[in-house]
Amino acid sequence: MKYILMMTGTKAQWEAYTKWSKEDLQRNTAFMRAFSKQLKEEGVFVATEGLGWPEQAKIVRAGNDGTPITDGVFPESKEFLAGYWIIDVENPEQAYKIAARASAAPGPGGVLGNVPIEVRQVMSGALEEFR
Amino acid sequence: MKYILMMNTMKAGQEAQGIMAWPKQDIDAHIAHMLKLNQELLNSGELVSAEGLSFPDQAKRVRAGNDGAPITDGVFPESKEFLAGYWIVDVPGPERAYAIAARASAAPGRGGVPLNMWIEVRPIMGAPPK
Repeated sequence: MKYILMMTGTKAQWEAYTKWSKEDLQRNTAFMRAFSKQLKEEGVFVATEGLGWPEQAKIVRAGNDGTPITDGVFPESKEFLAGYWIIDVENPEQAYKIAARASAAPGPGGVLGNVPIEVRQVMSGALEEFR
Repeated sequence: MKYILMMNTMKAGQEAQGIMAWPKQDIDAHIAHMLKLNQELLNSGELVSAEGLSFPDQAKRVRAGNDGAPITDGVFPESKEFLAGYWIVDVPGPERAYAIAARASAAPGRGGVPLNMWIEVRPIMGAPPK
């Protein structure tokens, strides 16, 4: 079963991240790199991506003629996806345990962040049937 | 450049008003539109990956307790947007990413009327600096 683990943050939380010290950022990055490596070694890793900053986000919809209409204004409360992991595990409990490990990534001063991670099953097979 | 196209259309507790409440032929037309788009993006070499997610009622929020054990919660604010699915495309620039997003946006809804739903588009970051 494939699960997606999503880290999200409001724009204010993203801006706080930019004020972390270099040492804190390096510690966090090193944790994330090691975490991905561990997931690969455990044989559960499928994919991971980190996304661009909320300033780079646009919302796009089709106009009546199908051409794109873009807008860059979002509500203050909007949670922006920061990044995600997709893992392939036996059951949801295993996914939750792995999410807890991501949650414990170090924050400022090396203190555990314990940030919430959204966990949801991914529907398989959307693309496989074409390949 | 890689871009992610996100459908953030779902709200918790509204599953019943969503796509599953549509007539079957409308659901089939919607899915056919998405499959055709995926096939075209595969043929053009622009599609990196695409996934559809399960419904919000299956979502859990997880964080580590002080002992590192997972604490799970299934309660979300009503305003929360849920990711329904996404595409990652590799294209020369943002304009092409927006054009593809508009194609996804125009997927047919009830009665075959284009949904023209909002799609969030953002660049994917490269590896973080060492």
